[in-house]
Amino acid sequence: MNDEQAKIKVTGLDFFYRDRHVLKDLNVRFERNAITALVGPSGTGKSTFLYTLNRLWENIPGARMRGTVEIILGGLWRDIYAGGYPVTELRRRVGLVFQTPNPLPMSIRKNVAFPLKLAGNRDRRLLQDRIEQALQAAYLWDEVKDRLDDDARTLSGGQQQRLCIARALVLEPEVLLMDEPTSSLDAAATEIIETLLVALKRRFTVLVVSHYLDQVRRVADAVVTFPDGTVVSNSTEPR
Amino acid sequence: MNRFREKALIGVSWACGIILSGIFFFLVAYLARQGAGVIDLKLVFGETPPLEALLLRQRVFDGLFPAMVGTFLLVCLSIVLAVPLGVATGIYMAEYAGARVKDLFNLVFDVLAGIPSILVGLFGFALAIFLHKHFSNRIQPCLLISALALAFLVLPYIIRTTQAALEGIPGETRLTALALGATKPQNLFHVLIPQSLSGMLSGLILAIGRCAEDTAVIMLTGVVVSAGVPTSLLGPYEALPFYIYYISSQYAGPEELLRGYGASLILLLLCTTLFFAAFLIKKRLTYLALYRP
Amino acid sequence: MRGPGESATERILLVSAVVSASVTVLILGFMLVMALPLLRGGGLFSLLTQHWEPGKGLYGIYPLLITTAGISSLGLLLAFPLSLGCACLIGLYGRRPPGRLLRRIVQLMTGVPTVVYGFVGIFVLVPLIREFFQTGSGMCLLTGALMLSVLIAPTMILFFQDSFERVPRSHLAAAEALGADRAQTLLYVVLPAARRGILVGVILAFGRAAGDTLISLMLAGNAVQVPGSVLDSARTLTAHIALVIAADYESPEFRSIFACGLILYLFITVITVLVRRLAMPESGERP
Repeated sequence: MNDEQAKIKVTGLDFFYRDRHVLKDLNVRFERNAITALVGPSGTGKSTFLYTLNRLWENIPGARMRGTVEIILGGLWRDIYAGGYPVTELRRRVGLVFQTPNPLPMSIRKNVAFPLKLAGNRDRRLLQDRIEQALQAAYLWDEVKDRLDDDARTLSGGQQQRLCIARALVLEPEVLLMDEPTSSLDAAATEIIETLLVALKRRFTVLVVSHYLDQVRRVADAVVTFPDGTVVSNSTEPR
Repeated sequence: MNRFREKALIGVSWACGIILSGIFFFLVAYLARQGAGVIDLKLVFGETPPLEALLLRQRVFDGLFPAMVGTFLLVCLSIVLAVPLGVATGIYMAEYAGARVKDLFNLVFDVLAGIPSILVGLFGFALAIFLHKHFSNRIQPCLLISALALAFLVLPYIIRTTQAALEGIPGETRLTALALGATKPQNLFHVLIPQSLSGMLSGLILAIGRCAEDTAVIMLTGVVVSAGVPTSLLGPYEALPFYIYYISSQYAGPEELLRGYGASLILLLLCTTLFFAAFLIKKRLTYLALYRP
Repeated sequence: MRGPGESATERILLVSAVVSASVTVLILGFMLVMALPLLRGGGLFSLLTQHWEPGKGLYGIYPLLITTAGISSLGLLLAFPLSLGCACLIGLYGRRPPGRLLRRIVQLMTGVPTVVYGFVGIFVLVPLIREFFQTGSGMCLLTGALMLSVLIAPTMILFFQDSFERVPRSHLAAAEALGADRAQTLLYVVLPAARRGILVGVILAFGRAAGDTLISLMLAGNAVQVPGSVLDSARTLTAHIALVIAADYESPEFRSIFACGLILYLFITVITVLVRRLAMPESGERP
């Protein structure tokens, strides 16, 4: 893959957590507007790797990193660890959805509006529009449009996960990171999310950590194996 | 395995449980029997009409009112001093302190928590002397000094409960808002602190109970037997626990003794209710409740 | 890159933490400064081993040390079996009524004000001891120790019971799968595993007993002498501080209370460090 098709470039990445050397000299590129799956045995640092892309590891005590990560944001290549780019802005452009759905203890509406509020948006009409768009994009709008003020925790597991996706989408990020998005969901909910992912890649670059190789086969355009970082395009059978 | 030892364990445990419960019920029943009859307006206001006393127009001489007001003001003042400082410290410890700083501060606060109350009182007293000599002649052991010393006494509770409540939040919940672009203060304000409120509340209640019951600190920092309702922060005051202590050795007749019983009953009910409430709100208080020297 | 709001917040919080920490250091500082003349005059060693005879110019706190050690040890000796037994009862019955009830009673007991224990002690326990032993006024080491044990038992019980609960579930599951009943699980699995926690609880309770003022002040008699028997009247370090506070500022008598304070402070620091050492390696985190 050459630079023109890449969205994310990782060079010489080393990651340490306490005494463990979790990622060793990782070099990998991720294609723009594609779904790349991250696979590999447990404990090889797949989730950790996601955290290096939005600098979330910096809020975890005991974690250290070396190497370079460059992402195209706002049309330009940016070294996300260089001084100039605020980390809060980075995280708005590189969204993350966690493995276990974790809606905040507030209404559905407030959950989705939350990131906008953090960024300082107060315009009610704008908020309402963005909330609706995000929920539509997450395939959740029809199910919740009549109960936006209900507590988010009353939703089912699959709905909560889509809510978290909507919440990550409301800021219109450029990259979407997903850490085993369907591992706590049943088959029906999983299917909805997989369809959703394929639709999302038109607008975003998506990275998905997954343990389910059949999911990977269904959904991914490319596969990166951990811990070594070999890239396989999905035209061949994954290991 | 040894059947006898197992049976003995059960038997001994029951015996201990019954003995301890017996002691507790005896204590409560004894105080209730001696003091319950005394609890009425006369106990609180003595011969002074209640309305006059409440409006501070007449002084109460043979009732608990001044001591109750004194205790109330003392508790409020100490809490106002201790809570902001303690909560801020707890937040710093849980969210900002680096590993080595945290270890050091943890040690320091553990020591602080273990300092006997009489020493905290002694410190308050020495502080009063120091300020008297170097700052202003008007400063002496008084309500303000006592409140300050009590604040130091309960500071560790507040720090620890705040810190524990924040540290108890699961990993991903801590990161959720951050991943959505929140700054650390935003994360604290919108997510972390709201989730820790019950823990912090029980710490607050524990601190209130501790301030209300403490005798050693106030004995050394300005409480007196007869001062009426406190009129100034820099003046003397009365307090319930000290009243009880004083009466126990200096009661001048059966009526005064009865008042002592009444006061003991009131203080007992107040503090056990507070402590119990704290336990109800937050089950894991054992470690923190232990430090009450 | 951090916004200005972030650094300001962090700085305010840091200042708070430093202020809180300095309180601890300040307390030690004041003790040292006030006790210094006495320490320099007689030296620490003589302070600790001499007797207290102001008339002869002797301000040693030796009798007070012995009393504190004695009353705390006795109180602990009485409280320990009682507490362990109660903790076992709670452990044996877990969620069922006897366990839950005792737990609630113990929680209630932690709220009983110390001065109330003292008050009841004076009017109930003291006459009892006086009648039973037919000697003295009833205010003695034994009375103080008895009440002290009632004071420290509830928190010891809760602490022990907490240690029992920290035993990993897998141990309990293994025992149950092998057919052990509750008593057997408690006796052969939980108690040995919780040994360290029990030790920590005991040390903490000892520290607390030594630091208590009101009970020994109200019940132990306050005579400054090395107690010859548990029925002798005696004075602890803490009671001494409370009693002598009214003395003249510059007198050596007065300064002796700061020496007492210093000893207590150092003692509690040792206890704290010891407890941290013991409590930490087991789980790798603060208890």
